[in-house]
Amino acid sequence: MWGAEEKSSVPFLEMNVFSKLSSVLLCGFLLHGLKAGAQEDPRLRSSLARAILSAEGEQQSILGELGESGSPVVREVLNAWVRDSLFAYDLDGIKIPVLLDDQSDAQGKVRALRVDDGQVLRDANGTELRFQTADLTAVDTDARLRGLIQQTLDAIALSDPDPNVRRSAVLKLGNSQKLKNVGVLQSRLAKEAEKTVRKSISEAVALLELGESDPSKQVAAANQLRRLGAIGSVASLQSLASRSTAPAEVRKAANSAVRAIEDHLAVVNFFGTVFRGLSLGSILLVVALGLAITFGLMGVINMAHGEMIAVGAYTCYVVQNLFGAGFGFSVNLPFHFLGHPLGFGLRLPGLNATGAWYESYFLFALPLSFLTAALAGLVLERTVIRFLYRRPLESLLATWGVSLVMQQLFRMFFGANNVQVNSPRWLLGHFSCYDVSLGYNRVFVIGFAVLIVFGTWLLLAKTPLGLLIRAVMQNRDMASCMGVRTGRVNRLTFAFGSGLAGLAGAFLSQIGNVGPGMGQDHIVNAFMTVVVGGVGSIVGTIFAAIGVGAGDQILQQLTGSPVTGKIVVLVCIIFFLQWKPGGLFSIRSRNLD
Amino acid sequence: MQFKPRNLELWLMVAAALLIIVVLPCLNAFAPETSWLHVGNFTINLYGKYLCYAILAISVDILWGYTGLLSLGQALFFSLGGYMMGMNLMRMIGELGQYHKPIPDFLVFLGWTRLPAFWKPFASLPFALIMAALVPGLLSAVFGFFAFRSRIRGVYFSILTQALTYAACLLFFRNSLLMGGNNGFTDFKFILGHDLRSPVTQRALFICSGVALLLVYGVCRWLTNTKFGKIQRAIRDSENRVMFSGYSTANFKLLVFVLAALIASLAGILYVPQVGIINPGEMSTEKSLEAVVWVAVGGRATLVGPILGAFTVNALKSWATRAYPDLWLILLGTMFIFVTVFLPGGMVGLPGQLLVLKRRYFSRTPKAPPAANPTPSPFVK
Amino acid sequence: MKLIFNKILGTAAMLGLLAVHAPAETVKVGILHSLSGTMAISETSLRDVLLFAFDEINKSGGVKLGGKSYTIEPVIVDGASNWPLFAEKAKQLLEQDKVATVFGCWTSVSRKSVLPVFEKDNGMLFYPVQYEGEELSKNIFYTAEAVNQQATPAVDYLLKLGKKKFYLIGTDYVYPQTTNLILYKYLLLHGIPIENIGGGFRKDDAGNVISAGKYTPFGHSDYQQIVADIKQFAASGDACVLNTVNGDSNVPLFKEIAAAGLSAADCPVVSFSLAEDELRALPTKDLVGELGCWTYFMSLPTPVNKTFLANWNGWLKTQNHSGVVKEKRAVDSPIVLSYDGVYLWKAAAEKAGSFDVDKVREVLESGAVAFNGPGGKITMQKNHHATKDVFMGETKANGQFKILETYPQVYGEPFMLKDLTAKLAQKK
Repeated sequence: MWGAEEKSSVPFLEMNVFSKLSSVLLCGFLLHGLKAGAQEDPRLRSSLARAILSAEGEQQSILGELGESGSPVVREVLNAWVRDSLFAYDLDGIKIPVLLDDQSDAQGKVRALRVDDGQVLRDANGTELRFQTADLTAVDTDARLRGLIQQTLDAIALSDPDPNVRRSAVLKLGNSQKLKNVGVLQSRLAKEAEKTVRKSISEAVALLELGESDPSKQVAAANQLRRLGAIGSVASLQSLASRSTAPAEVRKAANSAVRAIEDHLAVVNFFGTVFRGLSLGSILLVVALGLAITFGLMGVINMAHGEMIAVGAYTCYVVQNLFGAGFGFSVNLPFHFLGHPLGFGLRLPGLNATGAWYESYFLFALPLSFLTAALAGLVLERTVIRFLYRRPLESLLATWGVSLVMQQLFRMFFGANNVQVNSPRWLLGHFSCYDVSLGYNRVFVIGFAVLIVFGTWLLLAKTPLGLLIRAVMQNRDMASCMGVRTGRVNRLTFAFGSGLAGLAGAFLSQIGNVGPGMGQDHIVNAFMTVVVGGVGSIVGTIFAAIGVGAGDQILQQLTGSPVTGKIVVLVCIIFFLQWKPGGLFSIRSRNLD
Repeated sequence: MQFKPRNLELWLMVAAALLIIVVLPCLNAFAPETSWLHVGNFTINLYGKYLCYAILAISVDILWGYTGLLSLGQALFFSLGGYMMGMNLMRMIGELGQYHKPIPDFLVFLGWTRLPAFWKPFASLPFALIMAALVPGLLSAVFGFFAFRSRIRGVYFSILTQALTYAACLLFFRNSLLMGGNNGFTDFKFILGHDLRSPVTQRALFICSGVALLLVYGVCRWLTNTKFGKIQRAIRDSENRVMFSGYSTANFKLLVFVLAALIASLAGILYVPQVGIINPGEMSTEKSLEAVVWVAVGGRATLVGPILGAFTVNALKSWATRAYPDLWLILLGTMFIFVTVFLPGGMVGLPGQLLVLKRRYFSRTPKAPPAANPTPSPFVK
Repeated sequence: MKLIFNKILGTAAMLGLLAVHAPAETVKVGILHSLSGTMAISETSLRDVLLFAFDEINKSGGVKLGGKSYTIEPVIVDGASNWPLFAEKAKQLLEQDKVATVFGCWTSVSRKSVLPVFEKDNGMLFYPVQYEGEELSKNIFYTAEAVNQQATPAVDYLLKLGKKKFYLIGTDYVYPQTTNLILYKYLLLHGIPIENIGGGFRKDDAGNVISAGKYTPFGHSDYQQIVADIKQFAASGDACVLNTVNGDSNVPLFKEIAAAGLSAADCPVVSFSLAEDELRALPTKDLVGELGCWTYFMSLPTPVNKTFLANWNGWLKTQNHSGVVKEKRAVDSPIVLSYDGVYLWKAAAEKAGSFDVDKVREVLESGAVAFNGPGGKITMQKNHHATKDVFMGETKANGQFKILETYPQVYGEPFMLKDLTAKLAQKK
């Protein structure tokens, strides 16, 4: 249908994706390496080679220059040097410094890459030379030289293009307790553009200056740390505050800094917990909303709801693969027909998309996961659920059977292992707001939850279908008498609830595992959320989800143990339901049963 | 053709009792190993496990089949009984563990050097047995008291018991509870001074389980035939009418709930020494659901049904996990779906259902339209 | 969608059929893994590699005993992640199928559950997954990493890197609890002050630490709070995380770490239950530089490993056993140790000239049975553990490990706790 590629009657034997994939990866790596070599300033490489082979005094000055380059090549070579894996090869009397490649051939030999030009080492005839580690002698180092190299490496890290690397280099220098590093940091501060790194540098400088001998400078440093709210400096400040040899005013300043930072920390933790509670609540909500429809409105206890979530997540996986190298599966059955094993397989070619086009797969996966899960729900309703509308407790058993079958089917089609669903770039990463880090995926989940709640409300309250759904759910027989085609409405409602579960699955694939058993992790929580909110009330589900999510995070923060938090929440729910058996928003009715 | 399930049931039970208590153990002990009559130790052990499952299934049935309360917490009471028994068995290991210390191995793991106080009295089996009755009994009484007082019923009751089980499961997974954490209790050596690994002990345990099953069956049969049983069924069919007739349904339900918890605990007590391990995995929701499925497959609101169901499903599972390791879940799942959708009476109700079908399609002169379902149908709300 | 009903005429299938029906002598060998339930995620791969090893041996003439060659006939059972069922299945394998040996188990609890059965029926089990030690049964051979072949070398490496703060986190069961306790003592012994060990402690009445680190339940998926905690812990630099979180809980943990921007340069995480197989489900691009320590890495450049990988992938393609996934398979330490176990057993049986458990055990205990496996030479020791190479690696963007350090031929030592406690007491 969608370009299904029928290869031949024996597709299994031709599948060679694994080796293809690995060769693609391999090529990617080699290309990457060569490209980096090509862009590099040739002067850098030659001075590197000079530094390696020259005498001590000269080495110092060359290394100093190299430190300012911030080049990854220099970093790689110097790292190898410290670890004794930089070698000197004697090519016709000239010593050539080389690095060994990662990839070895069948004899365990590897190619050597020349430090001076980044090319593969060849002999006079132009054939590649291959070595084993033992064939070569490492370039000598001693303690003094290693110290020099380390300094150079630190300096390189300070000018690394990745701000994370710069920041951690700054942190390292800040903790070094060597005052001479203040100069290095301040010169970097003048060049630094990134805000977070600038802040780290100021922190590091202040932290180093705590070690000054002049009390007034120490006080100034402590005050600076207090202003910055430097969480990482608490330990140093505390030790300074308790040092009996320190002057009184210094100790006082340190003490007040510690108190201020701890206050700051409390505020950060508070807002962090609120955010985390909201995000956990949103996940619960997204997971439970589908159930609020199928269970809350329709009264079907759908234990296969979790598997509907998995259907959504697997759809995401398939779409991702279709955007990439393609998707295929093959299923073998343990039965034989006329001596031949029975099985079937399918291969779909991929789009081999890259860049932003590939990253956008998730946007296509979202509606598709809704549709696939809705379709699965439709099939389930037709084959099983429709027999059980008047036997709700039994729908629990039958759908449990369905969930077992579906889990095993996932294993057959996608393998028992978890599968990899990559997050698009724009869902990775985070931004910090007042030291509270907010992950993009979490923010997105919250926004998304709001969106689908709104969509559900729109459907139920503002469309003719919604009106019919509400009518059938309130009184199936009466609605039927009024001419509503209840069978059709049931079908659509169940498909809609399942579709919402599929959407939830697409989301969970960005946060957790995608595997055959993933639905089981969520099913108990989902039921709990719906019951606490009040069966039949979407608003109740929303409040319950956020309440349970926030409660979980707050208790986790208070008790310091994730399990205790969970247990306390469950016990609270049990007690809550004793008090309000109908949940938060119970629907009042004069009906006794 | 008159079909008298009651008489048949009684004869079946007598035959089964003879088989379990006398014939199988004798064949295990006395028939030479080469003979086809010989029953291996493995089989005895396996059937002993099924017997415990059957007891658990009865406990589900008197709640669900007879009173209309679908509890997903029976696995919890089962495990609690098992844990209390396990504590005694752990104490009986003595210094024969990995570390040759007088305290259980997992405590040594956790850095303990002394036995925690609450572990001490479990050296005595009677104490362990009393606790195995007390702990699940009290828990079910307290939980049931509150749940029934606030008139939690139907699906809500199922989900609430599920929450209770889940919370307990999480609690027992914690190593800091000092109940063995995820690994639970295992590597038992002795029960009442007898070597647990010897076939004689296993045989004795098998007979004990058989006797316990018969006793439970007898008590439940007697109970369901009394006026109490009638009220039970009346609650199931229409609780409000019973209430309006002046009965305190909450008390009746509480009593049945506690009784079911005790029966489940008994099953757990017998299960642990035969299987050799108890861990929090046994209290997962799945296990409760599995027990409910045995009852559904065997036939609700009968007492043979659960026993039959427990044996059939578990035998099928034992066979399929060996014969079709990749497909057995599909096999079992499909069976559950089929049974719940098309066989509301389970295996026991099957002959009746077939009879109805036969009457409907083969008799030329249908005098009176037969009832849709020969068994009393509590399932239709 | 097109279903292609498929009759395989491939030579492989025919060979497979021939192998089963050949009139040669056979020896039954058990495979006891979870093929369904929560642990199927990890354990099905072990079933596959065992079948591969058996096929490989059968094709090269089987196990040769006293002039006769025996074809291995696998008996596969599903433990279904259900621990009592594991015990039942072990009994079935030993008492009904009378298998010569069993390869199986992943979790500690499944091993503990079958241990009494193996001891009672005098069976033999090869256990391939890294574990906490503190156990020695005469019926179990542990090809797995002991704590001193994984956790402590990793800490040595981190200390060498100059790390000063260590955060302990794990799943709440025996392996992490014990390993973290050992690591806690090990760190104290190496001069790390107690306030630089993060994650929290629990003490008994006498004030002795009985548990170190932060614990989450199985299948935990919400690591927001813990990652925030680690971030604060690492704010002062030179910190690292020692992670014993079990299998697939690592996915939400690392996805959270990646999203929180806790980079490996700031605070590397060294994971003891995270191998290539689990890495496939993670955003590896954002986790470059996280550390791992195992006795095998898929990226090992040795010729033996390359041949192994080539054969394994070739075999997978021609496989038609139901449930074997053919594509995108990763190989990791438990898989290779499972494979090594088969060859160790084969070598021992051939040397003993018998499949008798006692005789094979005697040979294995002699310390003379070695196998040159994909991860290097592995030698069975008298104490049922194995001497093997230990590798420290860091993750690369392609989901593989780059090997940073090799500790050759480390002797497997299961009992570390007592020794460390004594040394600590001495130090005080």
